[in-house]
Amino acid sequence: MENLLLNSVEKNLSQFMFTNAIFLCQRLLAQFPSEVNLQLLARCYLSNSQAYSAYYILKGSKMPQSRYLFAFSCFKLDLLGEAETALLPSKEYIEEVPGGAAGHYLLGLIYRYAGRKNSSIQQFRMALSLDPLCWEAYGELCSLGAAEEASTVFSNVSSHCLQKTCVAQKVSFSEGAIIDQLTDSDKASKDARLWQTEDAPGESQQDLKIKQFGPDIPPDTYRQLNNSSHTNVWDLKTPSPVLSQVLDAPPPLLYKNMRRPAVEGLMSVHGESRRKYVSEEMSAEVAEESGRRRSARIAARKKIPISQSFGKDSQWLHLSPSESNYVPSLSSMIGKCKIQSSKEATTSDQSISDRGSCVNDDEYSNPNGSSADRFSLVSGISEVLNLLKILGDGHRHLLMYNCQEALLVYQKLSQKQYNTHWVLMQVGKAYFELQDYFNADSVFTLVHQHCSLYRPASISMLLFCFSDFLSLVLKHLKEEMRLGYLAQELISVDRLSPETWCAVGNCYSLRKDHETALKMFQRAIQLNERFTYAHTLCGHEFAALEEFEYAERCYRRALSIDTRHYNAWYGLGMTYLHLEKYEFAQNQFQMALQINPRSSVIMCYSGIALHESKRNDEALKMMEKAIIADTKNPLPKYYKANILANLGDYHKAKKVLEELKDCAPQESSVHALLGKIYKQLKLYDKAVLHFGTALDLNPSPSDAAKIKAYMERLIVPDELETEENL
Amino acid sequence: MATESSESEEEGKIRGGNDKLNIDDDLREMGKNAAWSVSSCKPGNGVATLRDDNLETYWQSDGLQPHLINIQFQKKVKLQLVFVYVDFKLDESYTPSRISIRAGDGFHNLKEIKSVELVKPTGWVCLSLSGTDPRETFVNTFMLQIAILSNHLNGRDTHIRQIKVYGPRPNPIPRQPFQFTSAEFLTYSTLR
Repeated sequence: MENLLLNSVEKNLSQFMFTNAIFLCQRLLAQFPSEVNLQLLARCYLSNSQAYSAYYILKGSKMPQSRYLFAFSCFKLDLLGEAETALLPSKEYIEEVPGGAAGHYLLGLIYRYAGRKNSSIQQFRMALSLDPLCWEAYGELCSLGAAEEASTVFSNVSSHCLQKTCVAQKVSFSEGAIIDQLTDSDKASKDARLWQTEDAPGESQQDLKIKQFGPDIPPDTYRQLNNSSHTNVWDLKTPSPVLSQVLDAPPPLLYKNMRRPAVEGLMSVHGESRRKYVSEEMSAEVAEESGRRRSARIAARKKIPISQSFGKDSQWLHLSPSESNYVPSLSSMIGKCKIQSSKEATTSDQSISDRGSCVNDDEYSNPNGSSADRFSLVSGISEVLNLLKILGDGHRHLLMYNCQEALLVYQKLSQKQYNTHWVLMQVGKAYFELQDYFNADSVFTLVHQHCSLYRPASISMLLFCFSDFLSLVLKHLKEEMRLGYLAQELISVDRLSPETWCAVGNCYSLRKDHETALKMFQRAIQLNERFTYAHTLCGHEFAALEEFEYAERCYRRALSIDTRHYNAWYGLGMTYLHLEKYEFAQNQFQMALQINPRSSVIMCYSGIALHESKRNDEALKMMEKAIIADTKNPLPKYYKANILANLGDYHKAKKVLEELKDCAPQESSVHALLGKIYKQLKLYDKAVLHFGTALDLNPSPSDAAKIKAYMERLIVPDELETEENL
Repeated sequence: MATESSESEEEGKIRGGNDKLNIDDDLREMGKNAAWSVSSCKPGNGVATLRDDNLETYWQSDGLQPHLINIQFQKKVKLQLVFVYVDFKLDESYTPSRISIRAGDGFHNLKEIKSVELVKPTGWVCLSLSGTDPRETFVNTFMLQIAILSNHLNGRDTHIRQIKVYGPRPNPIPRQPFQFTSAEFLTYSTLR
């Protein structure tokens, strides 16, 4: 009965029938209480987003896997302290963190949320060393500003590490040889599991050695009877990524390990954990089935189809023992991986698994081909690592705001990889940070169209990812209609995503309805407390409403979540500028510049703050820097001219403005300032000319009034001037 | 007392205040930063009703004419428009008829800047503070006083349902002499 229930539960989990799975698992647990079954029930709860239930049932369990799941539930419930204790029970000696790389990654996140930056960096680095394919850990390191070069992380060392695990797997396969890599997609998933279980090199090496030299087979493992030369079988208790697999047959492969969920934890941290457990007592029918398959396979020696499952399509590749076929088949499989636009981890897992499977088949059908396998294995690993290297580099550059470098790096990717939404989104973000809103707009529109060619469902995913940026871009380009349309589209697709409400808020903000915009941003915050940008946008709206205390509070909250969010520093600086606290303002702009040293806008404001604090030389230097930093930005020259005019250096100011006038002929403030300067230089004709032009260029009403006042006073001698307005 | 074009039959827009706001993007309501007071009021119909965004509630005076509404700012502000919501159909003899607007530094040096006569108004009445001179689009002042000199049908006390005061938006970039107009300048002027 137990096996039946177990199989049912696993099947239900794989087919997303969570409530059914929970029910069955509860019966199972009631009848056969054991820690394993408890873990299974916890998995069911977590899949159904009931972290609190998982928390209660796992409280106090000691097994590593249970501790990992318990820590995960605590993390979901925001009980960071308990989660940490679960993962690291004692501080005196460092026990093995359950879950391997995934455990370290979870710990890193916990530390990050708690604000312990150095510990979190350490944990993420551990995670990466254990599993080089733990991309998210690298991403977190980038956003913390502590990432090393991608080439060191995804380097030969990691390649060796991956190789070892693959090789070990392979060797044990040859000895155990229950592997049925042929038919099912679960096969591939199983293998994926296998690779990942061996992530912690130290322990896994030991494990493997033991297994290689003589496994200690628990008496209840079942044996492959057909295999004469290989009599040892390992039970497999590993999770498999149910994410993209459709598993109809129970996975026949059992591999015993320490019940570490390994890299699957990666995805689990993102709330998508669907781990499968295969119990030790697999039914005999399964053994027979796989035995049957094996015999079929032996018969079909040289023509072994391999299923590549990507959830949607399966392809069959014929494998021949010849080396030349391996590399293309591998690369084509990897190529298939690339098309999938979900997390790289999944795809690379699968590629490795598929590679593993074909490697294993080769091993099986061609006992002399071990060197060929090694080669194909190595080349496969290096391809994946190269890909991750490029992406890692680009990501790191982007988060250090070296946008130009990031763009160059991303150009190195192949067409297929470049056209995935993740990469395009990064590219769009790079353009956005460069203030190149037109290009950003085109990239984001490309993504938008790109996905509407695919399935409508993926639109929503893409929209959430880039909607906040797209809405900001559109706001900057002042495209009300498009922004409104985007906002409506988003609301109809998903009301529960904070990005949706950010887009709507940007709509209102564009129309200057700041109070409603504020409400929208607050909704976004309610949906996700840790959405830094929503806090910053709230701050911007408060500042626009001139409620500077609230604005400051919002900016500080954003900074408490993420100190590297330079927009919040910028916002604080602007607030202090409005409040005329120029020294404070200057400090904030300095902080912002430390994070994003190439932003000419921030440099401009820093210069203004310096000028107002009477540090005029520094101000002028800062303006020079700004001019050089971004040649397309006309404002530093304008501000420079303004500062010079205030200092009395009218000739220099005039020169700068004359240049600027040619670059930006439609800007009324340039002409107005020129008029003022000519007035000071007593060149009244030119002054009148420029004031007239300024008026023609549609200034705001208060400016228009000012300019007219200036014109009038040109006629009147200077002594009669009594302007506070000026 | 200059009798300007008596704003006769001022067709009020029910939500006219907001409509006007949309037309002129560069105006914003200034009343939030001011201290509001009245010369007299009936209990239950006090000064708060003038600012509660509710057209059902009204302020009712309780003394001798002229009835005064004082709006005092903490620093000199530029003001351009005053909107008053009155309704002859509902208030009849309580509806103000002659309104005078005064400005100055304080109670001691108020000077009249505008005077109007209303004839059976129903809705938002716009009182522009600009002078004829284009240089004088705005009034730069510490204090504004709205005086109700007389009512329709010689009523003694007056009802006013809502008052809004508008001035220009400040330059979003602090400490700059002029605002930017072209798209290029504006894109580079802020970060989000």
